[in-house]
Amino acid sequence: MGKSKAGLLQGTLDMLILKALSLGALHGYGIGQRIAQISDDALKIEEGSLYPGLYRLESRGWIESEWDVSDNNQRAKFYKLTRAGRKQLILEEQNWERLAGATMKALRAS
Amino acid sequence: MSRIKATLRFLHAWRHPDEIARQVDAELRFHVEMRTVANIEDGMKPDEAQLAALQSFGDFDRIKGTCCEIRRSLPFDFTPLKIGLHIAVATLAGAAALWVANLPHKSPISVLWQLLFIAVLTCLFLVARRNKRPHRQ
Repeated sequence: MGKSKAGLLQGTLDMLILKALSLGALHGYGIGQRIAQISDDALKIEEGSLYPGLYRLESRGWIESEWDVSDNNQRAKFYKLTRAGRKQLILEEQNWERLAGATMKALRAS
Repeated sequence: MSRIKATLRFLHAWRHPDEIARQVDAELRFHVEMRTVANIEDGMKPDEAQLAALQSFGDFDRIKGTCCEIRRSLPFDFTPLKIGLHIAVATLAGAAALWVANLPHKSPISVLWQLLFIAVLTCLFLVARRNKRPHRQ
């Protein structure tokens, strides 16, 4: 059975970025790749839309960035999760589980 | 990130908009280059690979503009500061009105007048905010 590409619900992009960064510091391109990897290629983020999301999360203090050298010896901006970001990720996961549970319950209702 | 650090970042972004634009540009170009390399590794010709990378990225200039705008936006909710400023203005307006009416500032009537001024200006502030807020469908 082929995999269907799921569209992202509004608000889930932030959670996915935080989740990707909880596994280690990454540059923007790497974050997109990691999200695709951990979702087994089911979730593909629109590449450009990732960056406004990153800047918003940084302005909220959930992630922070610094310039460093990437694997291919180019300067790249690397993002990492802050302590506040880690707490936010836990909150977002709890909210998501609650929402998913409630939706499943509604769908199974006869 | 502490509020002080966030405020310093915000001020830096306002003082050096060109530097911020350059950094955003470099970051986005790095992404496009990485995608181009990946496309070439997947078997595309360099020209095709770069074109495909730009297409999959989206509207480069719009995204760059949005990022710069976010970087220059206030790092925290400005509302409490606005409310504080409004109360200060209302108190000053009340005191000025009492001075014009030649009423003593510390009499019970003057306090009531000041409270009335603050209440009226608060209502005006709330009405202005409600009208300014975009309507949601």
